[in-house]
Amino acid sequence: MVDLNELVDSDRGRVDPRIYTDPGVYERELEFVFGRSWLFLAHDSQLPKTGSFIQTYMAEDPVLVVRQRDGSVKAFLNQCRHRGMRICRADAGVSKTFTCTYHGWAYDLEGNLINVPLEDRAYKGNLDREAWGALKVPRIANYRGFYFGTWSDETPDFEDYLGDMAFYFDAVADRFDSGLEFTAGTTKWVIDCNWKFAAEQFGGDMYHTSISHASGPIALTDQQVVRGDPNLVQGRQFGGDGHGSGGYIYPERNMPPNFFRGQQEHEFTEDHLDEIEARIGDTRMKKVNNHNTIFPNFSWLGFLWTMRVWHPRGPNQIEVWTWSFVPKDATEALKREIREKAQRTFSPAGVFETDDGENWTEVQQVLHGFKARQNTFHVGMGLGHEERNAGGLPGVTNDVFSEVASRGFYRRWHDLLVGKSWKQIQKEEAARVSAIPESQPELAEGAR
Amino acid sequence: MTTVDQPTPVLSAFRNTDLQTQHTVEQFLYAEAELLDDYRFDEWIDLFTDDVTYWIPNRETRPIRERHLEVAAQDEAAIILDDKFFLKGRVRRITSGISWSEEPPSRARRLITNIRVQPAAKPGELDVRSNFYVYRSRLERHQDWFVGQRFDVLRPADPASGYPFQIANRKIVLEQTTILAPSLTTFL
Repeated sequence: MVDLNELVDSDRGRVDPRIYTDPGVYERELEFVFGRSWLFLAHDSQLPKTGSFIQTYMAEDPVLVVRQRDGSVKAFLNQCRHRGMRICRADAGVSKTFTCTYHGWAYDLEGNLINVPLEDRAYKGNLDREAWGALKVPRIANYRGFYFGTWSDETPDFEDYLGDMAFYFDAVADRFDSGLEFTAGTTKWVIDCNWKFAAEQFGGDMYHTSISHASGPIALTDQQVVRGDPNLVQGRQFGGDGHGSGGYIYPERNMPPNFFRGQQEHEFTEDHLDEIEARIGDTRMKKVNNHNTIFPNFSWLGFLWTMRVWHPRGPNQIEVWTWSFVPKDATEALKREIREKAQRTFSPAGVFETDDGENWTEVQQVLHGFKARQNTFHVGMGLGHEERNAGGLPGVTNDVFSEVASRGFYRRWHDLLVGKSWKQIQKEEAARVSAIPESQPELAEGAR
Repeated sequence: MTTVDQPTPVLSAFRNTDLQTQHTVEQFLYAEAELLDDYRFDEWIDLFTDDVTYWIPNRETRPIRERHLEVAAQDEAAIILDDKFFLKGRVRRITSGISWSEEPPSRARRLITNIRVQPAAKPGELDVRSNFYVYRSRLERHQDWFVGQRFDVLRPADPASGYPFQIANRKIVLEQTTILAPSLTTFL
């Protein structure tokens, strides 16, 4: 058995590769990490009317997320209390009740047990229906239309859990007066890798992009792709409370169209400049736009309009569930432009996405070797160069080519895994953050 | 030429196609598969008309009463929704030598079967449905199977091109809702 305490050393930027492979560690992270974190469930737009439901997962646990009669959203384990059969077997839809197809126990939209076949004859008055409803997700947070759930009473409230990441999440979630909507349908596929490779990369890895995704731009333009000198590109990476956000810094609030940015998007932004600035401010319009992970497994790419959950499927596999998102009041032409761009770049056939899966599956393959697993991985980029509240960006940030978010991700993962209390975790985080020098360097603006 | 009476009612799935048309369509689709299997992507891309839509819609598990929602519409999620420009872009990318999910390249073999032909809405064009079973082997021991149905519209081509048709529309419906592969970089 591995010594849990030795697996991660965030102070030195080291991780033990067995965190990606060990079945015992995996079992423990289901309970101690996923079981004690806020997990993304659904976006408002996926549940348009009373009885609208989607089937999703909290880690490996199937849950139904359902729009209630009062407009609220509730979630419960998709497991009949009688013999554990799935209560609902569709991915999505609209329903009044959920009836188990094994013995017929039926549940209402809240997961209450409302009908039991042959109840009088078979149970003779000895079944307390109220006690045998589906297992409810006890805490659900609605943050700007994004629903997150946790099984844990101990986990801090969602906004507290987000911490400084709220500033970065809001750059997307709170950008438009009209709000956001998800494109209908969840695109799902399977990658044979540990979930942490994906979640960590989306939080804290700009470094891979120009190498791994070298061929991506080639698919999007028939012109010669001119690459700027990466030494001159400006950008910052935020890491805090296990979350991460990184991006380049633009000289203007609305950059001209290019192969990443369509004409419709440019025009829409131009028309909404005042609105966006009033909501999120000049700093975020220029400096917060790219890769993000809310711990543990909800990620998005701002400028590519893709969101996803990395559902763990054992230590060696994930299911990727992804959606594109659009401003709710966008024209049909803009919605189409955004949707197609997101699909083209980040989907199972995406001209960027497929490079990521290739890396992660190869890394996981190599970890079959016992020497490979006894190795140590380097997560030390930019260590010691963190700054606090730099250039109008709250929390701890570092160069965009750093691993401040990755170190934070593994630290939070490890703290939860070893069983530290949330109180202790937050106390230690606060102490660490306040020890980092506060600075206000003028962040240079660089064209990209 | 064999004649087979069209059975009634007209909703029958049976399609009677003259042998020559059936044969030409089949040989065209086999030739297309050969180009792909043999990595002749630059020739393959020329088989598509400039106004082509190449579409792999998303698919979900739905109950029978919502079966009509199972395959996504064009304003919903898709795996691929490309025009000729972006389809060409994919070819440029996977032949670039720096596209790491196809460098080294996968080995793929396409089985195209159950080819059914009927006249399309536009005179001269054909609606062609076919089933495919595509096997991909990658690197040391990775393998994927992609199984589904194609809905093609074939348009007569300039005989000088060497091919009888161009593909004016292709919709691909996969049987998997969760794609059991790390990537779909194999053209279907």
